[in-house]
Amino acid sequence: MSNDIPLIYTSKGNLPEADLRMEVEWFVADEYVKVVKRHYLGDELVKEGADVLSFKGAIGETLIGIVK
Amino acid sequence: MANVSAMCTSFKTELMLGAHQLGSVTLVSRTSLTAPTVDTLKAALYLASGSLGAGTTTYSATSEVSGTGYTAGGITVTNATAPTSSGTTAFWTPSASLVYNTVTLATAFDAVLIYNSTQSNRAISVHNFGSQTITAATLTLSMPTNGAGTALLNLA
Repeated sequence: MSNDIPLIYTSKGNLPEADLRMEVEWFVADEYVKVVKRHYLGDELVKEGADVLSFKGAIGETLIGIVK
Repeated sequence: MANVSAMCTSFKTELMLGAHQLGSVTLVSRTSLTAPTVDTLKAALYLASGSLGAGTTTYSATSEVSGTGYTAGGITVTNATAPTSSGTTAFWTPSASLVYNTVTLATAFDAVLIYNSTQSNRAISVHNFGSQTITAATLTLSMPTNGAGTALLNLA
């Protein structure tokens, strides 16, 4: 049997998940949708990651090189 | 029926494939003229204080991010899907997300530059995704649907 406590890699080392507070923030713009996950140890930010999700067509439109 | 003036769609696709050369240009050898190797593309991140855009011609370390886990020049772009076309639009998209694993980038950045590292680091495109920092985590840039008008690069 294992009594391992789930740990999360942070800038302060591997910390128990239960010790951290997670906040998720979404950003919606014309060109992208972004979700940012932040983990805090107390008030200290110890982990911040981001996933940028492209809007269908938005990025392509900004990059279109019109050749006609 | 009448003939209609237009750029041939196949030509747009072939531009992305480097199949045409209408003027002289100095290229890094692609090993074979008849079956050239695919160039390596890379993706570098840039600080929000940078000034990349349509006028960017080559990769430069100026204003590039730096931090734990990030290598100058960025990461290699996965390119398993060749440019193609639909209707009159030619398009191309990397075949996998751009993933910067376990990095710490403390200074705000907001853009990625796609460039051709095989051909003298020539710039291809700049994409802004809003100001961001990363702390001991992963940044993932998911690619749009690879279709006409939705792909990362479109020639309409």
